[in-house]
Amino acid sequence: MTGQVGRLWSRWVRFLDRREPGTTLALWRIAVGSCLFGTVAAVALAGVVPALWLGPADGGYTEPQANWLFRLLGGATRANVWVVVGVTLAAALLTTVGLGGRWPLLLALQGFIALFRLNPAATGAHDAVITNSLWLLFLSRSTVTLSLDCRLRTGRWTCDVPVPAWPRYLAVFQLVLIYFTSGVQKLSATWTPVGGYSALYYILQQPTWQRGDMSRAAWVYPLTQLGTAISWLWEVASPLLLLAYWYRATPERPGRLRRLFNRFNFRRGFVLIGLAVHLGILAFLEVGPFSWIMVSLYICLYHPDEWRAASGGRASGGREAAGGTTDERRSCERRSCERRP
Amino acid sequence: MWSRVWPHVRAVLVALHVVAVTVLALPVPDGVQDRATWQQPTVRQEMRDWADALNAVGFETTPEVLEDRLWHLAHGYATARDSVLAPFGPYYEYCGTFQGWRMFSGPQMFPATLHIDISEAGAWRPVFVERDRRYGWLARELDSYRFRALRFRMQSSVGFEGDYELFARWVAVRAANDFPTADRVRVRLFRYRLQTPAEVQAATPVFGQFEQEIVLPLRGTP
Repeated sequence: MTGQVGRLWSRWVRFLDRREPGTTLALWRIAVGSCLFGTVAAVALAGVVPALWLGPADGGYTEPQANWLFRLLGGATRANVWVVVGVTLAAALLTTVGLGGRWPLLLALQGFIALFRLNPAATGAHDAVITNSLWLLFLSRSTVTLSLDCRLRTGRWTCDVPVPAWPRYLAVFQLVLIYFTSGVQKLSATWTPVGGYSALYYILQQPTWQRGDMSRAAWVYPLTQLGTAISWLWEVASPLLLLAYWYRATPERPGRLRRLFNRFNFRRGFVLIGLAVHLGILAFLEVGPFSWIMVSLYICLYHPDEWRAASGGRASGGREAAGGTTDERRSCERRSCERRP
Repeated sequence: MWSRVWPHVRAVLVALHVVAVTVLALPVPDGVQDRATWQQPTVRQEMRDWADALNAVGFETTPEVLEDRLWHLAHGYATARDSVLAPFGPYYEYCGTFQGWRMFSGPQMFPATLHIDISEAGAWRPVFVERDRRYGWLARELDSYRFRALRFRMQSSVGFEGDYELFARWVAVRAANDFPTADRVRVRLFRYRLQTPAEVQAATPVFGQFEQEIVLPLRGTP
């Protein structure tokens, strides 16, 4: 490869070669593992495993659709479904505590896919967010720190050994992809001035999703209109978050827009609106673990140094840099908390 | 050798991931490849409105011509998207990288609530009414988040009529067990128009109608 394409490719390769402490990925793993546990446990506790995931002979309303895993196990029988529920819950726990490296993540992913695909009519967007998160975490080295693995290997709960940062970048990209494609598909006039920005008010009145009587929203209708306008703009403008990261990483370059973005903390505004949206969904609508799993992706918006600074710990000495050379890291490496190839 | 090659291999794989998830996430309107869907009254009205709007700004067209052009455009887009997606099929299926983020694209202005009644000694009585705490038979299950997703599809989406019928049979099995004196069960939807804020404030009564009624005998239900 030569010329411009070659230079772009080299930059792409170097970008994916970046390493950073594993704190962010570990926090994300803990959040996703907890969310998966709650998601599957809620189905079991509500007593709907037979109704939705088993066949009519075992208390279900329809024939389950067995994927490759259930076909391998001999079908979506009562025993097999409950075994997969149990294994998925166990794998979710192992994921949360970070025991067994990346393999519990793969187990959790395959178990969960097999379960929710049993009944495609009873799925939601949250299922796909969970599986995408588990896949990216499986590809990452999320158990290097803040895990039982770390504790067993080093005698400590934390470890500064740098891990590849690209899974975190892909998580940020996934977050933006979800919001942006969701925003551009909001084609109803009710999301626009033509429909009086009434979407949020009417969504709150949907009997299937509401937690309780939402007729009181009629008395704060202007607020729901404001919420409609802000949340739609926030979704369709979400790719600007990637631009904000780029500007932040290249502050020395010229440009008025770059200066504007760097002066105004776009990410903070994005996160605050997002938290308000998801808090609202959580408070007024019952859409399963959607808000929890989406907010868990927000963890990836922050560099490990920012999380450690927030918790009063030390930074690694380089925001996007490859590792650093702190005494702590050397100590961690001596204790073989990271296997070298 | 491998340590020099790996960064490039990884860069290719990550790029493929980005392409795979992005293309799958690109929106495809429901029924875009089914010409019959385009004949629905709502779509026909949209075509007339858009044709009028285009004529008003100097683009001469008719609803039929506009529909034909849009059909070819949409069909071409969907076909191209499908051909790009095909090689990634196993990646989505086995790695869980499913996409598709159409969420609350438009509020359902004519929603429906689920009603379940049983007949005892010739008289109907409600045992489950959606959003009514007085009638909470099976509420723990039916109000769980996964059942809500199923209910939403049965009540609002095309293509889930079969699920609705099977669900009614499931209700009958449960009712036969829980109400031994009942002889029939009735499952139906009450569809109504959502009220505007002004109507709610004025305490205007909600009007609607029952539909998709299924009545099943309970005696002899296994």
